Amino acid sequence: MRDVLVLSFSCLAPEAPAVSVAGFDPVAAGLPRKSLKTMTRAVQLGVASVLACTRAASGWESVPPERRGLFVGASPQQGDVEDLAAALEAAGPVPDLRAFAERGEPLVPPLWLVKGLSNNVLGYASALLDFRGDNGNWCDGRLGGVVAIGNAVHAVAEGRVDLAVAGGADALVGAEAIFGRPCAEGAAFFVLAPVGLFAGPGWPIRAGVPREPEARAGEAELGAATVPVALARALAGGRGFEGSGLVVASR
Amino acid sequence: MSRAAVVVTAVALRTAGPPDVASARPDVEAAALDVPLVARVQGVADDPDFPDDRKGSLAAAVVGELAGALPEGRRGLFLGTGLSSLTPDELRRDLYPSLRGTSFDREWLARDLAPGRPAPRRHQPERVTTVLAARLGAVRGETNFSACAAAAQSIAAAARAVARGDVDVALAGGHDSMLHPLGYLSFVVLGALSPTVGRPFDRRRDGFLIGEGAAVLQLERESDARARGAPILARFFGAGSSVDAYNVTAPHPEGRGAALAMRRALRDAGLQPGDVDYVNAHGTGTPVGDVAESIAIHEVLGPVATGSFKGAFGHCIAAAGAVEMAWCILGFGLGRTWGTVGCEEPDPAMRCEVLREGRPFAPRVVMSNSFGFGGQNCALCFGAP
Repeated sequence: MRDVLVLSFSCLAPEAPAVSVAGFDPVAAGLPRKSLKTMTRAVQLGVASVLACTRAASGWESVPPERRGLFVGASPQQGDVEDLAAALEAAGPVPDLRAFAERGEPLVPPLWLVKGLSNNVLGYASALLDFRGDNGNWCDGRLGGVVAIGNAVHAVAEGRVDLAVAGGADALVGAEAIFGRPCAEGAAFFVLAPVGLFAGPGWPIRAGVPREPEARAGEAELGAATVPVALARALAGGRGFEGSGLVVASR
Repeated sequence: MSRAAVVVTAVALRTAGPPDVASARPDVEAAALDVPLVARVQGVADDPDFPDDRKGSLAAAVVGELAGALPEGRRGLFLGTGLSSLTPDELRRDLYPSLRGTSFDREWLARDLAPGRPAPRRHQPERVTTVLAARLGAVRGETNFSACAAAAQSIAAAARAVARGDVDVALAGGHDSMLHPLGYLSFVVLGALSPTVGRPFDRRRDGFLIGEGAAVLQLERESDARARGAPILARFFGAGSSVDAYNVTAPHPEGRGAALAMRRALRDAGLQPGDVDYVNAHGTGTPVGDVAESIAIHEVLGPVATGSFKGAFGHCIAAAGAVEMAWCILGFGLGRTWGTVGCEEPDPAMRCEVLREGRPFAPRVVMSNSFGFGGQNCALCFGAP
């Protein structure tokens, strides 16, 4: 078993009371323009955060692609319902599957299903950075990001990868009625590696059994990004972090 | 430090039929969307906690089957799941009334999703894990959402958690059903469904047969299982995951990610290529995917008997890796392999040795492949007890 360090991190999250990431420009963040139409907002934030945290780490490119892992917590998103509107309209005012099939189906974008897949952060980011190793995508509500980071810590510790990027992304603005409280968007990702593989300081990290973080009064819902964003803010503030099954020592 | 040995001591599964009989049936809803045949599981009642979530009821059935006889100790539930979609009721109730021309009335949608009313299940796929984990008294639950590799990755994660001692016993597998209008539609518009029947590795293959299902394996450390005299059905040898890092919507044409997952599984298991004597292929029956996988199997394992279940009970999407591994494990006990329903004339372009019909030979080591949209791949290695 190897000890594991956080080498770098990135955080794209609004400061309360804002709920959206102001001024987020996906193209400036490094996302390919031609792929944006098949990326939801959560995917754009997640991929941008993955790219940013790798830019903040030095030397990671020396790890072979097969030894780079990517571990993501993200909520699934139904393919955008707006993409179905033209098809439903064409089918007529009364729900009728046959009419929907005959007149509506040609109006459904071919990638409607693909756009909503929860594992799109992983799919796009792995292709952009050539990460081919161990991986996983978890959809566990507020636990998603913690489960992803915990699995990444184990993958590095057990020697399945020599470099892991892990974290969570979610975009829940507009889902206030579901959660019954304010909702926000955000993403935070971390570069992990075994102690001694790279020069320079890091934050020692350990993972136990993931535990769901409690929702705090007045705090906007961030879904799978809840714990990653809290962890990133703790590290940015020069503090360690302990909670939800993760222990990260201050540097 | 070597990893503690992990074994399978029970299996529960629901598929449309056994893997050596074609289970495809006409379906009224599917037919409206020009999907002539689907493989629907019979005899699974709605679970009270999941009245409008077919895949939740499938999961409850398999977890419930093993729950009563679970040994004491820290329990974990690791489930792979898929993208819930809109049922006919949801289309009628949520979408049509809010349609305003070619957009939606957001205020109407927001009112429809008011607090106090159950949230649409599509926003809470982890709810099945949460509810069933509570029924088990589990200390840990995970919901993997890696498309068609989800269940296989869940089994791998569970086996490792058991080996590490995070939990003492795990139920691990997956559940999924996309047998609903937008489920069919999603694959129709992608051109992924067969207009006829599923024919993995066949010269005439033209897409997959859509199915549904659920399965869980009961995983324990071998030392614990032997101490309580539990039957051992199979041994977990290892697992490997990879990403194609190529294209979100298309597999690497030469199966680069698939081959890497298989190599990693072999290494994790401490096995040589010649040790694997049967491969349960992902084998969906799509023109491109089957060839790419056959190249990868040949490259990693050389000539090895290979079959696919997807012509029999369809592609169970996120549950595929679990239901297929479960049938392979039952094959250990029966001393047989299952063959490939629907493959009547193997495509000569295939580089692997396709087993058209099951054989009464008992494999020692089975590798099972699962590959998902987004390029995620997972290979599992299990051995006979």
